[in-house]
Amino acid sequence: MQYDLIVIGMGLSGLMAARTAAETGRKVLIIGKGMGCLTLFSNTIDLLGKIPGTMELRDGLSQWIKDHPDHPYSKVGLNGVEEGIASFSSLFRSPYSFRAIGDRNSFIPTGAGHRRPTYLIPGTMIAGASCNKALIIGFKGFRDFSAGYVAGPLKWRGTTLSVPSLFNREISATALSRWMERESFRETIARDIRKHLKEESCVGLPAILGIHDPIKVKMDLEEKIGVEVFEIPGLPPSLPGMRIFNRVKEWLIGKGVDFLYGYPVSEISVKEKEVKGIDVHHPPASGFHSADRFILATGRFIGGGLTADRGSVSEPLFHLPVAQPGSREEWFGKSFFDEHPIHRAGILTDSSLRPVDQTEKPLFENVWIAGTMLAGHRCIDEISREGIEIATGYMAAKNAMKQ
Amino acid sequence: MDERTWPNNNTDVCIRCAACMAVCPVSRVTPLFPGPKQTGPGAQRFRKPGDPSVDEWIDLCIGCRLCDLACSSGVPISELNLIARAKYLDEKKRPLRDWLLTHSYLFSRVASFFSPITNFLFKNRGVRWMADLLLKIDRRRELPVYESPTFRQWFGGHRSTGEKKIAYFYGCYINTNEVDVGKAAVQVLEANGLEVFLPPQECCGLPMLGNGDFEGARKMGLKNVPSLLQAIRSGSEIIFSSTSCGEMIKHEYNRLLAIPGAEEVAPHLFDLFEYLRKLKESGNLNLRLKELPIRAAYFAPCHLRSLGIGLPALDILRLIPGLHIENIDADCCGLGGTFGFKKEKYEISQEIGKDLKEAIDRLNPEAVLTDCEGCRMQIRHLTGLKVLHPVQLLRDALT
Repeated sequence: MQYDLIVIGMGLSGLMAARTAAETGRKVLIIGKGMGCLTLFSNTIDLLGKIPGTMELRDGLSQWIKDHPDHPYSKVGLNGVEEGIASFSSLFRSPYSFRAIGDRNSFIPTGAGHRRPTYLIPGTMIAGASCNKALIIGFKGFRDFSAGYVAGPLKWRGTTLSVPSLFNREISATALSRWMERESFRETIARDIRKHLKEESCVGLPAILGIHDPIKVKMDLEEKIGVEVFEIPGLPPSLPGMRIFNRVKEWLIGKGVDFLYGYPVSEISVKEKEVKGIDVHHPPASGFHSADRFILATGRFIGGGLTADRGSVSEPLFHLPVAQPGSREEWFGKSFFDEHPIHRAGILTDSSLRPVDQTEKPLFENVWIAGTMLAGHRCIDEISREGIEIATGYMAAKNAMKQ
Repeated sequence: MDERTWPNNNTDVCIRCAACMAVCPVSRVTPLFPGPKQTGPGAQRFRKPGDPSVDEWIDLCIGCRLCDLACSSGVPISELNLIARAKYLDEKKRPLRDWLLTHSYLFSRVASFFSPITNFLFKNRGVRWMADLLLKIDRRRELPVYESPTFRQWFGGHRSTGEKKIAYFYGCYINTNEVDVGKAAVQVLEANGLEVFLPPQECCGLPMLGNGDFEGARKMGLKNVPSLLQAIRSGSEIIFSSTSCGEMIKHEYNRLLAIPGAEEVAPHLFDLFEYLRKLKESGNLNLRLKELPIRAAYFAPCHLRSLGIGLPALDILRLIPGLHIENIDADCCGLGGTFGFKKEKYEISQEIGKDLKEAIDRLNPEAVLTDCEGCRMQIRHLTGLKVLHPVQLLRDALT
């Protein structure tokens, strides 16, 4: 099959690239070796958490673009970032939708017991941003979330409920969230929570309020308990990330996008400066897919978009040059919380997100790069991961489709 | 067990990211199964070949392989589970029931010949109570209905014609229990100018593999591969209409069972709709289709996902005019082949199925379409709806 576009990478940037191209009626294949990292990192949408909380995001972003000409946001441009974010948000309609509070970063409580800045928040987490005094609820057997650990630093109270049907067993996030979708389970825990509730004006639970209709779960709990309820993002697997993945996947399949995951791209075939197709090896057979354009969005070290050996960082599929610190001694800062130059490693591109060589000439005529594998950002310190993924995924596809 | 069937030890590439924990249908419904991260690479680090197996939960893995697909690090999670299960069951000894469930191919021809009697017995409450009591086959699970004549017998009296020959691996269930699916596949292939022939074939062996019986599965593979090779060497491609049989022959024969010749078979083996999609791409698909004003929902079986060919049936069904088709947003039907028949697992199977049933209810279709016989049985059991193989609908749309 000859596709208009093949997107390699199943994370948020790849999904957004596929969406952007599919929206214009193009024939798209999206392929990933696993299901991407949405269930690892993402609960809310960070855009630029680093700027002061009082600052309007639009102002912060335009200043940032002025100060950081090589940043992915600068290549996408302020309008492009906003269009990308709007395109993402429009996928999620009420009841489970994302929004920002007053175009500023909001500070939501996390599973580590502190508040972190973030921009777009799902409806299930909104109440956490404004709550002054919450009762934090954990569940015995659900080891990924400790109520006391969350409540302590926030000077709140936390309590851990025993679920009778669990005995002494452990329970996974998905199983707990499925129980949460049952009215009878909610009835039981709401009764327990009411007993523990004192002067708190809201209740915080781990982010396990169901997969299909978390807003319904939240509203029903609020009715049963009598105060506002919010979700707190915690350890992987992230169910809010799963909700994002499922929603985009369903949208793409509905649009006729071919959606393949589980097997890595083993080889690319190139003719002069044009990529012709990709080989996907599924032992003992191989499949070949060809396209007019390609977007590489394979992420950083965990996703496999970048790999490192003892001496250097490389990009394993297209063998693109990687901007990186000169030697291994320069990879890491002195202490864990210092800035680590290795995080700045990534693929250099021109202003339209095409990968370039040392002389800044495009290496391929039909390849674009999206997501965190790009050079010029430090998304962990900037608190900008999802914003970069969405904006560059959107813009890479826009640019690719122009050609 | 044959040493060659052991995998590369890939456990250390697991980065504990828990993507597999987000998709496992079993750990989603029961705390009895710790989930793929623990049962696969987690436990594997503690397993030593000489030590007795302590994996008492390992038999709860349903074998859907969704964990393998979710993993970005390439850990063969379901394979680790399968090998650990084989060891656990080898030591614990399998009940007679497991032998019966995995060897139905031995008596299916007799069951089909005496189908009125078989079906009377299989539907009889007393018999099902006894099967429940003595064999631990859950009485709430409907047993397969047998048909006579078999697909192969029907085909014996059928003259297939076409410009190009194509081999068809129909699988046990089509042969004795859902003959119409086989007929529909033949009719659709013939409508596309293909002359169908049936190479000699046995059960693919997946039920045995799924129950950790590597030796039994390997025996079936050793019977099937030479016959399939002969078809290929005479210049034909091979089609399958059951995604589970297809996944088994195309990938597990080589990867897990190391059957000689399987590597040569794999590139010539195609899912029926994958093949039709290829015809469409080369402009050779018969597109004279009449209108079918039906509201249908399509469910992608786990082993189709595992084949990594996308959703070819959905691609082709979308070409039928008037057909309103939606993809069902759910993972795993919960039957897991023989899994859902077993008394100790029936309720887990039903709980997994509940999520699928709810997804189907949200779409409220007139008919459900899916490529796997196990999924069809389970969806009928869960919803009472009309459940078909997509090729049956495509056949109905032929003019």
